Amino acid sequence: MASHDDRGVKRSNMEDNAAQDLKRIKRAENGDAAPEKYNPYLAHLNEDGNNGDFESPLDSFERHQTTAAQAAQAEDSELNPWTGQPHSQRYFDILKTRRDLPVHKQRQEFLDMYHNTQILVFVGETGSGKTTQIPQYVLYDELPYTNGKLIACTQPRRVAAMSVAQRVANEMDVELGQEVGYSIRFENRTGPKTMLKYMTDGQLLRESMHDHDMSRYSCIILDEAHERTLATDILMALLKQIAARRKDLKIIVMSATLDAQKFQSYFYDAPLLAVPGRTFPVEIFYTPEPERDYLEAAVRTVLQIHATEPEGDILLFLTGEEEIEDACRRISLEVDDMIRESDAGPMKVYPLYGTLPPAHQQRIFEKAPGPLREGGRPGRKVIVSTNIAETSLTIDGIVYVVDPGFSKQKIYNPRSRVESLLVSPISKASAQQRAGRAGRTRPGKCFRLYTEKAFKKELIEQTYPEILRSNLANTVLELKKLGVEDLVHFDLMDPPAPETMMRALEELNYLACLDDDGELTRLGGLASEFPLDPALAVMLISSPEFYCSNEILSIVSLLSVPSIWVRPNNARKRADEMKMHFAHSDGDHLTLLNAYHAYKGAETNNEDMKRWCHEHFLSYRHLSSADNVRAQLKRIMETHDISLVSTPFQDKNYYINIRRALLAGFFMQVAMRESSNSKVYKTVKDDQLVMIHPSTSVTSPYDWVVYNEFVLTTKQYVRTVTNIRPEWLLEIAPVYYDLDTFEKGEIKSALTRITDKVKRRQAIKGSGSTR
Amino acid sequence: MGLAAAKNKRKLGTDPNNTKWSRNETTFGQKILRAQGWQPGDFLGAKDAAHAVHHTEASSTHIKVTLKDDNLGLGAKRNNGDECTGLFDFQHLLGRLNGKAEDVLEAEKQKREDHLRNHYLEQKLGTIRFVRGGWLVGDVVKENVTEKNGVPQSDSANQQPSEDTNSAEPTENKSKKRKADSDDEDEKEEKKDKKSKKRKTDTEAETDSESSRLKKKEKKDKKEKKDKKEKEKKEKKEKKKKSKKSSSDSDDEDDVELSTTETKKSKKDKKREKKEKQENKKEKKEKKRKEKESSDSATDSEDSKSKDKKRRKDDTETAKSSGTSTTITSSTRFLARSRFIAQKKMAFADSAALNQIFMIKS
Repeated sequence: MASHDDRGVKRSNMEDNAAQDLKRIKRAENGDAAPEKYNPYLAHLNEDGNNGDFESPLDSFERHQTTAAQAAQAEDSELNPWTGQPHSQRYFDILKTRRDLPVHKQRQEFLDMYHNTQILVFVGETGSGKTTQIPQYVLYDELPYTNGKLIACTQPRRVAAMSVAQRVANEMDVELGQEVGYSIRFENRTGPKTMLKYMTDGQLLRESMHDHDMSRYSCIILDEAHERTLATDILMALLKQIAARRKDLKIIVMSATLDAQKFQSYFYDAPLLAVPGRTFPVEIFYTPEPERDYLEAAVRTVLQIHATEPEGDILLFLTGEEEIEDACRRISLEVDDMIRESDAGPMKVYPLYGTLPPAHQQRIFEKAPGPLREGGRPGRKVIVSTNIAETSLTIDGIVYVVDPGFSKQKIYNPRSRVESLLVSPISKASAQQRAGRAGRTRPGKCFRLYTEKAFKKELIEQTYPEILRSNLANTVLELKKLGVEDLVHFDLMDPPAPETMMRALEELNYLACLDDDGELTRLGGLASEFPLDPALAVMLISSPEFYCSNEILSIVSLLSVPSIWVRPNNARKRADEMKMHFAHSDGDHLTLLNAYHAYKGAETNNEDMKRWCHEHFLSYRHLSSADNVRAQLKRIMETHDISLVSTPFQDKNYYINIRRALLAGFFMQVAMRESSNSKVYKTVKDDQLVMIHPSTSVTSPYDWVVYNEFVLTTKQYVRTVTNIRPEWLLEIAPVYYDLDTFEKGEIKSALTRITDKVKRRQAIKGSGSTR
Repeated sequence: MGLAAAKNKRKLGTDPNNTKWSRNETTFGQKILRAQGWQPGDFLGAKDAAHAVHHTEASSTHIKVTLKDDNLGLGAKRNNGDECTGLFDFQHLLGRLNGKAEDVLEAEKQKREDHLRNHYLEQKLGTIRFVRGGWLVGDVVKENVTEKNGVPQSDSANQQPSEDTNSAEPTENKSKKRKADSDDEDEKEEKKDKKSKKRKTDTEAETDSESSRLKKKEKKDKKEKKDKKEKEKKEKKEKKKKSKKSSSDSDDEDDVELSTTETKKSKKDKKREKKEKQENKKEKKEKKRKEKESSDSATDSEDSKSKDKKRRKDDTETAKSSGTSTTITSSTRFLARSRFIAQKKMAFADSAALNQIFMIKS
C-alpha cells in the first residue's frame, strides 16, 4: 500500500486500491502511445513469455467464441494456461472435484447463452458451485489479457469475498493477489496481473463513483443477488443504465431460485440459465398447533431430535444474542439430565451470532462429539444461531433444522426517523432457505414451529430488500455522486417509499450536502468521499472549526464500529464497574473517547492488549478495527486538507468543544426533556417520546441532549447521548433551529426563552463576548 | 381483554406517527420529488417498469412494525383469559335451536362423552402396556415372521414417503411429535408449577382432554388417508419404509423414556423398562393397528370436519396443556375447575337459568 501513498495521487476515497491507481498509470501511459509491455494486464504475458517460452492453449482461443471442450482441454494441460507454470498435483485433484460440480455439466450451455446475450440471469441453488466456477468459465471466454479488462464478481459479505477468492486461486493454481484477487473495504489484494477480482458489492459501488462507466471491467458478475443488499440493488440499477451505454459490458446476475422471474423481467427479459444444486431433499414438518412459546418449543424440539433421531447435527434459528445464550444454557442443562437419566448421546451446544468473537464463531466447525462409550448413542452438536447461518455460513453435517419462524430485522421509519431492530416473522423465501440448510450432506429434516396455515397466511413471500428498510441519506448522497439526477425515476428493482426518499433529501439539505435545488454542494461532495453516514461525515469535516478534529475523528471511528463495550451475562456488574472507570458524566460520546484514549495509552505502554481489553471489558476486536477505521479516515482527511487539531486537554473547554462539535452533524438528533424531573424526552421537530437508554453513563442528563441513534427495542430509546446547551443549537444550526419553522409547543417556547436570554446577555456584555 | 390481562402501559406522544411531517407538503424532500415529476400516491422508480408487478406495499409507504415482547409462537394468539368454556353444551343447545336432527346431536354427544371418559381414564390411571406375544394363526402362535409382513403394513401408515410433502403427512408425523412434546411439557410444568399457574386458564382441562382425543383421531384419520395412498405407492416406498420405520420406532421409544423420567419412577423401574423397550415397540404397533381398525368403522368425513373446527378453536391452548401421561399429579389442580364446569352444565340444563342468560322474558 505504501507505494501509492508515495505517489501522492489525490486519493479520493479510502477504499481506493492499487488497481485503481494502476489504472491512472495506464491512462497516462496510454497517452504516450501505450507501449504494450507497460500494460499491466499484459505484463504477465511478457514475463511468462507467452510469446516465447510456452505455448498457452489459450492462444488458439477466440474471444466470445470458445467452447467448453476447448476450455476443458486448456484446463487439462500440463502447464497453467495463465502463468505458464506447471500445474501442481493439488490442481488436478481439485480439478477432478470441480468437474463433478453440477454447474460443470452445463458449461457449454452457459457459454452459448453467454455469447448471445449481454445480460444473463443465472440461477444456481446452493452447492451448485456457481460462485467459484462461473467466474472461471467467464475468464476462459473473456480472455482478459486480450483487452486488458477485468472480471469482477461481487459478494454481499467481506468474508465471502475473501474466502471465495482464496478458493478460486487454489483452483486455478495461482497465488492469491496475483491473477485472482479480492478487494474489500480496508483491504485490497489485487495486483497488476489480476484478471479476476472478487469484491464486496459496496466496494464496486465506491469504485463506480469515480468511474461511472465501470470501464475497467468487461464482465461484472453480481453474486447472491437474491440477498438484495442495498449496494447490490443500486449496482443493478446502475448496471442496467451502463449496459445501455456500453454494449461490450457483460453482466451476469446470479441468484437463488425463488425470485428469478423478477430479475428476468427487471433486466429486459434476460435469458435464464438454471442449474440444480447438489442438495438433498429435506422433509418439512409443521406443528399441528401454533406454539405458545417458541423458545420453549425450540428447546424441546432440539432435545427431542437428540433423543429420537439418528445421527446428524442440529441447527436452531433464534433471534438474538440473549435468546441464543439462554437457549444454549437450557439445552446443555437438559442434555446433561438426559445423559444421566436415559442413555442419550453427548451433545455439544454452540451459540452463533454476529457479535461473537471470531474464535468462538470458528468453534461451530468443530466435529460433533463421539459416543460416550463404545457402541453408545452417537453424539452430535447443535448450533443455535441468528439468521447469519441462513445464508452467510455453510456448516456441513447439519441434518436437522429447527425454525421458529422469527428473526430480528432492522427497519427504518422515515416519519419518526426511528430505526427499529425488532423480532418479526421471517418470509417464506427465508423459511425455505433455512430448511435447505438441512440438506447439505444428506437428506434432512426441518421442523417448523408453526402451522402450515401460518406458513401460508402469515409469512410474506420475500424478505424486504434492504433498500426498503434503511435510511437512505447515505444512498442518496452516493447516487448524487454517481451522477444520478432523476431520483424519482431511478430504475430500482424495488423503489423505496417516497417518504423515505423525502426524509433522506431533507436531511441532506439540512446538512448542507444538497443545496436548495437538490444539487450536490461542495460539502456534499466531500462528505461522499467518506464511507460514513452523512451526519458523521459532516461532523468530521466541520470539526476543525471547533478545535477538536482529532477527538471527533476518534469518536466517529468508534461510532462506526459495533459497540466496544463487552457485557457478558455472567459478569454484568463487573463490566459496568469497569465502564465506570471511563465514564464521563456529561456524555457517552466522551466516555467512548476516554475508553479509546485509555486503550491507546495502554498500547503505548506495551501492554498485552488482548488481556488489557479483557480485563476492562472492552472488545479488542472492535477497538482495533476502530483504530483501523480511524487511520483510513485520517488519510482521507489529509488528502482533502482537513486539518487535525486538538484543544489542549488542560483547557476547560476541551470537552465543551467536543460536545459542541457533535452538534455540527447531529443537530437533527436532539431531544428535550418533556417536563422537569421527567425521564421522558421529546425529539425536536418530530415530537417522539423517548427515553435515554439505560446503558448510558450520563449521571445527570441535562434538559437537552444530543443522541447518536434512536432505536425501538422494548421502548423507544435514544442511545449514546451527550448533554448539550440549547444556546449551542441556535448558534451552530441556525437554519434547523429557525424558530419560525417550529410549531407551537414546549420546544418552541423553550427555544424562544433561550433566544431572548442570549440577546439579553449580549446586550449586557456588548457584542463579541460570546465564545 | 379481561381485567386479569397483563398491564401494558405505554406513553404515546400526541402524534406518534408524525403525520404532521408526512402531511407537510412544503418540506424540501417533497419539493424536490415533485420537481422531478412525482405525484403523491405515485411509486418511485422507472415509469411503466416491466418488473412493476413485483412491487410490494413497502414501495409505497414504510414498513410497519409491531413490537413483539413475548415468546408467542408464529400464528399463536395470546390468551387473555377470555376464552369460553362449556362450548360443547352451548353448541348442543344451538344445534337444538337450529333444528338439527336429534340423532345427530345424540351421536355428537356420545362421542364427546366417550372421549371425556377415555381421557379421564387415561389421566387417572395411565395406560397399561402390553408385551407382544406374537400372532395366533390357526392354532399356532407365530413369532416375528408374520409381524414383519403383517403389522408394518398397518403401521406403515405412519411412515412417511419423503417424495410427497403434501399437507397430510407432516401434520401426521407432528402429531406424534407433539405427543412427545407434551410429555416434555409436563415435565417442565412440574418443575415450574408456580410459574405456569398464570397460564393455566379456565379452559385447560377441557382442552386437555380434547386435544388428546384429537390427537388420536387425527392419527386415525391420517392413517386412513395414508392407507389409500399407500396402496398406490406401496411398491415405491417399500425400501423407504424400512428405514423410516426404525426412526419412528425410536420416536415411540422416546415417549416411554420421557414419561418415565417425569413420573419419577424408581430407577429400577426405568432399567426394566429399557429392557422392555423392545417389546414396547411391538406392543405399540399393535395398539396402533387396533386403533386403526376401530377407527375404520367409526370415522367419517363429517367427523373430521368437526374435529377441524374444534382444533381451531383450541388452537392456542392445546399446544401448552395437552397431557397424555403425566396426569396423576395434575388431576387435583382441576378440582375447582370441574366444579365450575358442573355448575355451568347445570345452568344449561335449567331452563330458567337459560332464560336469564339469554335475557328472555318468560
